[in-house]
Formats: sequence, C-alpha cells, structure tokens
Amino acid sequence: MRALVIDDSRAMRRIVSAALEGFGYETRQAGHGQEALDVLQEGYAPDLCTIDWNMPVMDGLQFVSAVRANPAWRALTLMMVTSESEQGQIVRALAAGAHEYVIKPFTADALRDKLALLGMLPEEAVL
Amino acid sequence: MTLTTTSFDWVRQLVHRESAIVLAPGKEYLVEARLLPIARSMGLPDVGQLVDSVRTRPSPESTRRIVEALTTNETSWFRDGDPFTALTSTVLPSLLSARGPAERLQIWSAACSSGQEPYTIAMLLEDAMPNASTRVAITATDLSREMVERTRAGRFSQLEVNRGLPAAMLVRHFTRAGTEWQVSPSLRRMVTASECNLAAPLPRMGPFDVVYLRNVLIYFDLPTKQAILRRVRALMRPDGWLFLGAAETTLGVDDSWERVVIGRSSAYRPLKGN
Amino acid sequence: MTLAPDAPGRLAIPALIDEATVESIAGEAWIALVGEDEVLVPVPGDLPEDTLSAWVDVVGPWTGSVVLTTGRQTAAELTRALLGDAAPELLDHEDVADAFGEIANVVGGNVKAALPGPSTLGLPEVGAAPTVRNPEDVCRIEVLWRGQPLVVSVQGALPSLPVPHTPHQHPHQNGASQ
Repeated sequence: MRALVIDDSRAMRRIVSAALEGFGYETRQAGHGQEALDVLQEGYAPDLCTIDWNMPVMDGLQFVSAVRANPAWRALTLMMVTSESEQGQIVRALAAGAHEYVIKPFTADALRDKLALLGMLPEEAVL
Repeated sequence: MTLTTTSFDWVRQLVHRESAIVLAPGKEYLVEARLLPIARSMGLPDVGQLVDSVRTRPSPESTRRIVEALTTNETSWFRDGDPFTALTSTVLPSLLSARGPAERLQIWSAACSSGQEPYTIAMLLEDAMPNASTRVAITATDLSREMVERTRAGRFSQLEVNRGLPAAMLVRHFTRAGTEWQVSPSLRRMVTASECNLAAPLPRMGPFDVVYLRNVLIYFDLPTKQAILRRVRALMRPDGWLFLGAAETTLGVDDSWERVVIGRSSAYRPLKGN
Repeated sequence: MTLAPDAPGRLAIPALIDEATVESIAGEAWIALVGEDEVLVPVPGDLPEDTLSAWVDVVGPWTGSVVLTTGRQTAAELTRALLGDAAPELLDHEDVADAFGEIANVVGGNVKAALPGPSTLGLPEVGAAPTVRNPEDVCRIEVLWRGQPLVVSVQGALPSLPVPHTPHQHPHQNGASQ
C-alpha cells in the first residue's frame, strides 16, 4: 500500500512516514496541500493520505475538500493527523470528507489502531 | 531509584514470560514510572517494595497489573475489534428476537480496566438501536477500586481517545472537558461499575446475556481458570454468549462450552445439560 | 486604530487554564513524541544564556502565544530525540527550528483546545521569544527535561487593561514600546 504524508514539518513527515513504513506502506511526502494535489495530479495514486491541518499555501481542510470534489480520487482514504483538537474542528474535518482523525501528539500504536479501524493495515502488520 | 538489579531482572523475566515483550536493560526508569502508581495503590512507598511484596506473595491480580502497566500504553477502544463486530452483527439480533420487548439485556464487562470496553459496547448499542439506554444494562467490574472509579467518571485523556476510537464516535458520544473528553450522560447511565474479584466467589449479579471476559484467564493457573469459568457460567443465561481474549479459549480448560465462530472471532455458549 | 473592545474586561489566561493543565499537555506531548520514558519533571532550573524559543499564536476569545523556551543545546537534543533513527548525522538550524516548532505546534494546539473557542492556530515560529505584554495574562511552567530547564509560557498578546480611575491622557497603545 502507498501513502502520501502531508505536513509542513519535515520532522513530523519523517515520524509519520517511519511509522507507516513500519506497517508496510511505501510513502511519499508533501509540505502543504497544494504540493500534495500536484503529486496526485502527476498520477501518484496512494491508498492513504495523512493530512496536517495548519500548513502554508493550502491547509489540510482545503486539501480534503479539493480531493472530495474530484471523483477520480474517490477511493483515497483521508486521515487528518493534526494538533487541531477542538471538537468543532474534528466535526468540520469529518463533514468535509476526512475518514479519520488522529490528534497530535500520537504514538505509532495510535496510528496503527486507526488504520486497523479503516481496514487499511497491510495484513502482516496486524497484531 | 529504589529498584535493585535483582528486582529489575525479576520484572523483566515476568514481563517476558507473560507477554513475550523484552524490556531492555536501561529501562529501570520506565519500570519505576509505570509501577509507582500500583505500589501507591497498594499502600507501598516504592517500586522496590512492590516487587518484594509480589515476589514473596505472588498473586495473579498483581502480576496482571504489573504486566499491563509495562506492556500497554493505553487500552484501545476497539481492542481486537472482532468481538465487537460480532456483538452487533450476530449476538444482538439473535438476543433481541429471543427476548420480549420489555426485557432488559444484561451485558457484563468483567475486567473493565479504565472503562474503554464497557463504553465501546455502550456506544455500539446506542448507535445500533434507538432505545438502547432502556433496553440494555451494562455491568462493568474490575478488581481495582481505582479502575472502577475511572470507569464511573468516564473521562479520558487525549492519548486515550486517540487509541482506536473512531473519530465519528468521539464527536458523537463525548464532549471535550479541558484537556480530557467526557463520555455522554446517556452512555454513563447505561454503565454501572463496581469492584469484583473474579478469583473469589462472585456477588449476585445478572443473569447475563453477554459476557466479555478478555485477557484475564491468561494470568491464572488451570484450576483457577476452571473455577472462574464455572462461576461466570452460573451467572449467564442458558442462551448467553461469552467472549474471551484472542489468545484465550475454554478448550482444554472447561468442556461445558460450545465454541461458535462469528466472522473473524469466536464466542462460547453454555452447553446444555452440564 | 482602536484596541480590542475590552470594556467589560478581557478574560486573562489565569482564569482559563492552570499550570497543572499546561504541565499535563506538555507531559503528554513529550511521552508521545519524544519517547515513552521522556518525562518532564516539574522543577524550575536556570535557563542558559543562549536560548531558543518556538511558539504558535492563538487567535480567538483569548488571543496570545504558546511559547516554549529552552537552551539551544537542549533544543538540538530534543530534535534528535524527536527524529530518533531518522535524525541526520549533522543537525542544521533548519532541522532544529522545524522540530522544535512542531513541538510548539502540538503543545499549542492542545492548549487552544482547552481554552474557550473557536480559535485559530498560527504556524509555528522560532527565534527569540515574543515579549510578555501583560504580566497578569501569563500562565508559565518551568520543567526539567533530561535535567535541562525548559519553560512553557501561555501569554496574552494584548497589553494590560487600563487600571480603573487612573487618568490616561493617551490611548494605551503601548505595544511599540516593547
């Protein structure tokens, strides 16, 4: 399985990518929503996007709306991974079309649990 | 630092034997931090004395607490999700058709820890049936008074709600309270929590339609496992359902149960005539 | 230019959040991000001369910044701990600014969620700490991480309210004086 990790912090991109690779994912990274859209438009077809909320150029919520507006990307699973943790914000992200929501700080176990809920854990990583 | 090398090695061996997890040398600090609350709850001043106490007077419950404190960061909500899927897909429809509309279903979460399991059950039921709070009662028990109080309070930290709780359920069934999340009043009304030692004669409860007894039996020797299963069975309805942990079974322990495969999980049902 | 319409009195941070809450937010961030046995010890220490701050702004019913300050060396050590195996052999300033900024973002996001909302969260900034505008509108904790001092300050961005009955000839636009 393939994942696109979208976060403006490269430290966080490395942490999320390392966790996903540990579960058997191949990963690519983008530093904001527009860069991520460009990667998708180039034809990279991930199964999963992990999405930070607050980023320069295009934030995570705008990215989710843009992906949901394009039927070609309907199969893409969108998981917010962000320190935005007001209840109203979580509701907004889900309403915009995000499938799951992980609140920073998180552990690799928390990511794995959420992927298991989504049925997005490559078999060998199921514990 | 109160932990001697001998005590640390003893803890390492215990954790390895019970969970196959290896605690590397240099993790003394972790052992101290995780076990201090257990020591305090037993009235002991430090972790060294906790280890001495459990070494001289071994008890499955203390062992379980120590192993759990060192092997799990936070309990997951849908920990091994299959027994919960089985509840809504198979068990609930079968029970609802077998019971009268006025009969209240009784569910027992027999080692409820900080409450994730009983509230997971409550959320699933509330989402699956409109009148869940009047049709179902959930009994949550644990040996530890602290865990029972945490279950009653129904408040969870950010790290706890991050562990396997679907975001849609979080925003539907919880409200943010400062840095924590408070479970909704209707779920709290469904769950009654009390202290209960499974290794001793059980209080009058039930009869239960469904029992979740997960990751408990592994800590006990064979005669105690048999005694626990016998006592649990006595509190169950004849057509009830028992869920054990993924690594647990009644097979070879107590032959008065029938194993039923539901999807990817198994349930155990009392055999008639035993 | 007018200042915030604060006639009934803005809420100052001590009425909204306490030290214990900030400490638990920072503690959870450390355990999850830096490492499961990386505890913050609530003991004050003397910051060295050479410090680095990372902060995020919160704009909403309460407006201000969540600022983390520690020694430059400690910030670098924190970056290594955060990156773990992914840490480059030589850390440059960008690495440290990015990692320390992300920790400020995580702590700030959770502080924001514990305050009355809705609020928006700014992008992390790194450098010399923003000045405290109003000493009454600060919640500050001092902790030790691996024995090194670190300060978390939740501080209002607005100047203090005028003291009642004190004659003020000029608009109290004292921001520029800082």
